[in-house]
Amino acid sequence: MPADGTPVGAVPIGVHGPSPSSAGQPPRGPTPWGRIANLARRNEETGWRVAGRIAVVLPLAALLFAITILAIKAWPSIRVNGFHFLTGSAWAPGSTYGSIIKTDGVSHPQGSSYGAWPLILGTIQTSVIAVVIALPISIGAAFAITERLPRSAARVLGFTVELLAGVPSVVFGLWGILTLGPFLAQNVYPHIANVMPDVPVLRYFRSPTGHGEGLLTGGIVLAIMIIPIITATTRDLLRQVPSLPKEGASSLGMTEWEVARSVTLPWVRSGVIGATVLGLGRAIGETIALAMVTGSIIQVAPNIYSPMTTIAATIISQLDSAQTDATGFAISALAEAALILAVISVVVNVIARMIINRTSRLGANA
Amino acid sequence: MRRHTNVTRTPRAFRFIRQSAIGGAVAAIALSAASVAGAAAPTIPAPPSSAVTVAETGSSLLYPLWNLWQPVYSHQYPSVTISTASTGSGAGISQTLAGTANIGASDAYLAPAQVQANKNALNIPLAISSQFIAYNVPGVKNLKLSGNVIAQIYQGSITKWNAAPIAKLNKGVTLPSTPIVTVHRADGSGDTFIFSQFMSATNSTWNTKIPIGTTIPWPTVSGALAETGNSGMLSGCSATPGCIAYIGVSYLQKAQAANLGEALLQNAKGQFVLPTTATVTAAAASFTAKTPKSGAISMINSSAKGAYPIINYEYAIVLANQPSSTTASAIRSLLTWAISPAQGSSTTFLNSVNFVPLPAKVVTQSIAQIKKIK
Repeated sequence: MPADGTPVGAVPIGVHGPSPSSAGQPPRGPTPWGRIANLARRNEETGWRVAGRIAVVLPLAALLFAITILAIKAWPSIRVNGFHFLTGSAWAPGSTYGSIIKTDGVSHPQGSSYGAWPLILGTIQTSVIAVVIALPISIGAAFAITERLPRSAARVLGFTVELLAGVPSVVFGLWGILTLGPFLAQNVYPHIANVMPDVPVLRYFRSPTGHGEGLLTGGIVLAIMIIPIITATTRDLLRQVPSLPKEGASSLGMTEWEVARSVTLPWVRSGVIGATVLGLGRAIGETIALAMVTGSIIQVAPNIYSPMTTIAATIISQLDSAQTDATGFAISALAEAALILAVISVVVNVIARMIINRTSRLGANA
Repeated sequence: MRRHTNVTRTPRAFRFIRQSAIGGAVAAIALSAASVAGAAAPTIPAPPSSAVTVAETGSSLLYPLWNLWQPVYSHQYPSVTISTASTGSGAGISQTLAGTANIGASDAYLAPAQVQANKNALNIPLAISSQFIAYNVPGVKNLKLSGNVIAQIYQGSITKWNAAPIAKLNKGVTLPSTPIVTVHRADGSGDTFIFSQFMSATNSTWNTKIPIGTTIPWPTVSGALAETGNSGMLSGCSATPGCIAYIGVSYLQKAQAANLGEALLQNAKGQFVLPTTATVTAAAASFTAKTPKSGAISMINSSAKGAYPIINYEYAIVLANQPSSTTASAIRSLLTWAISPAQGSSTTFLNSVNFVPLPAKVVTQSIAQIKKIK
């Protein structure tokens, strides 16, 4: 290596000898800047590798960090509330103006006891209702876009569905509470309730139909929010279905419906399941729209129209008053609820990824 | 309150007096002479001349008053920018203790445990407010209710408007069989705090089962609604026939415009009263001597004659040691201005939100607390 540190064989910038064009310019030999440039070029690969490793580790570290912090914050609540937190139905902050007592070394207001079962169940209920409504609509829309509509109309519909995905959830929440909820309560729910017989399961759909803020309204608003997710994924999957089997089925005399049911849908089935679970994950974590339209009552909804709440909605509506609990116990209970929500979301998303990965491998083999 | 109108001077007139006077001290003397409440108007300390922002957040009951104060004060003292927000008393308390906001507006004083954990925090009474019980029963005027009956409604043991306990209080009134829909606050609320105190004071089952607080474990009642903020309570109740709601008195005009009824409440002497200047003042007077220097006192169910049973001090929750002396001086000026009977607590301001000014003794105590802000 030359003494000046330039690598052997490397030609420093600007030392190609004098040429007419560069005659008037100052010499650009291995100035300090030139050296740094060389050094940077040499280390580019290493830097790129390190940056890549950080980028890989960072999201995982962030997730672990968040869950660890939540677990630490939740620990007093886990100790005092125990298993009751998962099964109990009373969300009692206790007397924040009364005396402070100690249980298992954790100080908390007298009478405070937290049971998150209504929140956990509410989260599951709203998400399941959303998926039940969104899935058929999404598959129908995806079929319409890929198979039925003329290309120009399909493009407009596809674009609209993607736009829907970009609308902030607070907009859906406001619309739900001001327009959709009252409309459903006056014009739709009473009709459903009137025709439902008094038998198990369907009994859940009977009166009173309430005022438009509740479980079903929450589920419907959520459905609108996850339709774009399921539609977009299903549409992409349908485009991958080769045309040969479909054409074959048609030439065997199958109707379009039969082709869709027995050729196209089985081809994409597990992909659609993956997309649905992805939508479910989105529904489980949705916060503000549900905080607005579910009625915010911490209870197991006695019927499908009743006000209720979810884990995420409770965290946002209770956070400020929880911060007025000087012992921090109310915050700890919210942290435990958040921990449960995080675990449910991670599990659901991992399942979705596994299903989607499996399908794309199958697709590659086909 | 709204039922008497001895408005003497507008804030505009005060501004004129102040601008035409030679110095601040002269203006203060002129203003104290104009004082209507009988209390000596405190000298308003001038805020810093450099630009400073004071962030206020909290009580939705106090929010309409802050919005009346903000432009008038900022016009008098252009260096101070005030931001106001209606987030609920719970948020007012917690964001102030966390240092996010400078002034937390709250209908509730700090809990003993909070005082223990934040020795630096002050609850400064600013004015006296009350709470009315709204109902949406078309055709029924001047409904009479007692705390005991309201507690049974909110516990789900009285479910229809024509139930016997309600009919007994309203002899000669035709009540419909509409189901009662209870509405309570979803967010941490000083209104919940004073309402739960009234329930505990008048119903023994409630008293043993449910604690007082800005958020309480509500008994399960079929069809119950929860709303955020006083404005949410108001819109939720007016949209729901059969509803009953507890709402801060600063929303009374809006409730009347929305055709909600205002219930006459039975006081400790057995009289049925509405929140008026006379009934709220009578209740407040019975607590003035007992009000401690810290300002933390519940004024529920006064035993005085003609007293309205649900009244409270509206508080500014402030940390005594502020991050900068500039901010501290702006807060001192603003709060002194707010409780001065000649300025922020003139009838012009307080009448429009149906509040009652602090008695002279409490003004003096509040000034002493304001002086601790450094």
